[in-house]
Amino acid sequence: MILDLGDDAKEYGRQALRAFEAAGGDQLVQQAEAKPDLRESLAGPVLSELGAWDLDARTDVDGLEAAAALCRSAGYWALPYPVAERLAKPTDLDVDGLIVVADIRPSGVVAGLESTWAAVSLAGVRSRVAGYGAAGPGFVAEVELSAVDDNGAGDVALGLVLPCWTLLGMLDRALELTIAHVSLRKQFGQTLSAFQGVQFQLTDAEVERSGLEILAKYALWSIATDRPEATDDALALRMSAIEAAEVVFRVCHQLHGAVGFCDETTLSWLSRYSQPLRRLPLGLSATRDELTRRVGGTGLTGLFS
Amino acid sequence: MKYPAESEDMYENSPESRTQAQFRQQVRAWCEQHIPPDWRQSQTGVDDDEFVRFQKSWFAELHSAGYAVPHWPREWGGGLSVPEQIVLYQELAAHDAPRLVLAFVGIHHAAATLLAAGTDEQRRRHLPAILDGEIWVQGFSEPEAGSDLASLRTSARRAGDSYVVNGQKLWASGGKHADWCLLLARTDPNAPKRKGISYFLLDMTTPGVEVRPIRNAIGDSHFCEIFLNDVEIPAANLVGAENAGWQVAQATLGAERGLTMLELAERLGNAGFRWLVQAAPVDDPVVADRLAQFETEITGLRGLCRKVVEDSENGTVGPADASIVKLFYSELLQRLTDFGAEIGGMAAHTRLAKPMSSGWESGSWLLDFIGSWEWTIPGGSSEIQRTIIGERGLGLPREPSAV
Repeated sequence: MILDLGDDAKEYGRQALRAFEAAGGDQLVQQAEAKPDLRESLAGPVLSELGAWDLDARTDVDGLEAAAALCRSAGYWALPYPVAERLAKPTDLDVDGLIVVADIRPSGVVAGLESTWAAVSLAGVRSRVAGYGAAGPGFVAEVELSAVDDNGAGDVALGLVLPCWTLLGMLDRALELTIAHVSLRKQFGQTLSAFQGVQFQLTDAEVERSGLEILAKYALWSIATDRPEATDDALALRMSAIEAAEVVFRVCHQLHGAVGFCDETTLSWLSRYSQPLRRLPLGLSATRDELTRRVGGTGLTGLFS
Repeated sequence: MKYPAESEDMYENSPESRTQAQFRQQVRAWCEQHIPPDWRQSQTGVDDDEFVRFQKSWFAELHSAGYAVPHWPREWGGGLSVPEQIVLYQELAAHDAPRLVLAFVGIHHAAATLLAAGTDEQRRRHLPAILDGEIWVQGFSEPEAGSDLASLRTSARRAGDSYVVNGQKLWASGGKHADWCLLLARTDPNAPKRKGISYFLLDMTTPGVEVRPIRNAIGDSHFCEIFLNDVEIPAANLVGAENAGWQVAQATLGAERGLTMLELAERLGNAGFRWLVQAAPVDDPVVADRLAQFETEITGLRGLCRKVVEDSENGTVGPADASIVKLFYSELLQRLTDFGAEIGGMAAHTRLAKPMSSGWESGSWLLDFIGSWEWTIPGGSSEIQRTIIGERGLGLPREPSAV
């Protein structure tokens, strides 16, 4: 198996980081929060310029890797746009994107957009999104569904994995911001980063983040090679992503101190906009439950079976 | 020995003397008659004016019963014994009384400072006023002085009979409602950092004082920034000697930590835990297991708080005991509210208001969880508490430092 993205995908991810920065960087999510209807006009042009909608994540391995890299870069800037969800769109339905939804209160980060959406449940039941509830925090809206078919089992893995790449990008950034903060801030005559108690918290967070990174690559490879257990791997990734996000954001908040809870800091925005990714379609307990139900008797296939 | 008129559960916590048992009955009866039964509903989502009105009226109600400042000396309006104070806080928590949010700094930090280091004139001016509802705020932290408070830079320059103060204070809880401020400022920029700080009483209506609320992640603005531009403080408002402010602050900061922590632990053990159990799907064995674990930890916390209070009274408290309590409470509160948010699911995320005047556990679990970070970060972060426990409690060597 290949444990890293190809060079082209990595270069594409770097270009996307620079392009999002040039398009407004951290300002984008702040402007979108004030006016959710601007999401499309804030993020749409730069994504089109990057050729995001020409990527084929379904049938082309290079396209899949580039899509993952793009999601990660979007997460880094908390780009106020459902890039992963758009890239996960099924090929056989005439829609702009796909959201994986829970059976109860199906919701997605689709508020304020004009796009057309399909939804798929973890069991593979596909629907069209026929209506939207009121926009809630984090651009989340409940959706009304109109059933299409039961052929979505193959859509679930990609629909789960790409948003984990977005979350990975957020964790990359949260750690970067925190390392910068503790390297700059001085107390007791030295930078906070000189305290071993601070360093060890960051190392614990980095262990979580890097573990998530390798699992994200594994789950992507599982999809790319069309492995039958790709959905199990996607659920395992999702569980780890939520667990890692908890550790990383908690460490980052604790080390930022009180200011990390104020919107003057980028961490506050990242933390808030990580919530939908961590809660939808299922939170940690429900994800564990679903994974246990699916693989409980046999366990994950993994590399060495 | 039993007294027929009294109930069995008078003896629930520990062997109580007859006087204490009678006092408990008296407080219970008072609580039943005076705590507004619907305050949690009626104080949810109210505006600032209503919050301030409710806080002041609840403080006045407690004061009329002699329960507002039980820890003060008798001549100033307090005078309950420590065992009676324990009973009082247990009963207030058991009856889910509103918490004194706005009066807190006044009745604890301001009073402890005035009693320990204030002049008679300062005490006469302020202690009765605090009982009449004067609100205080702490002006300690600064942008560059958080955990390392002693590095504060706000300056106070002597000019005739007054001091001229310039600087910025941060994270001042309740700053926008405060009448007076406990202010630490540097009076000798050339002295070692702990020896050049003075302690002042600042009238918040003085020209040059500007308060700006800071909106936080859950949208409230309890914390404030205070900007000080050429603010004149009469020299008579200096507490203790010039340049001895750090010592005054050290002596009084932790003065009431024991009983205030006991109150919080009792609140966590009463209403807080009860709501958690009510909200939890207890048929799930994993959930039941977690609840049992929390129950054990809360029981430990309550015992620990009681011991710190009693040891403080007897003069046998250890140098790190208060830090152990603060660290344990903070992290237990965080885990407990986190668990509440977890079992609350998505619905818990949609609750955007909690009752004002409640503690850090209100049953609006996600808001409570975010609020719990007010405990692991301010008032000596968990890192600082661990350092104190390591160095002063266990006698381990100090961490190598650049200074």
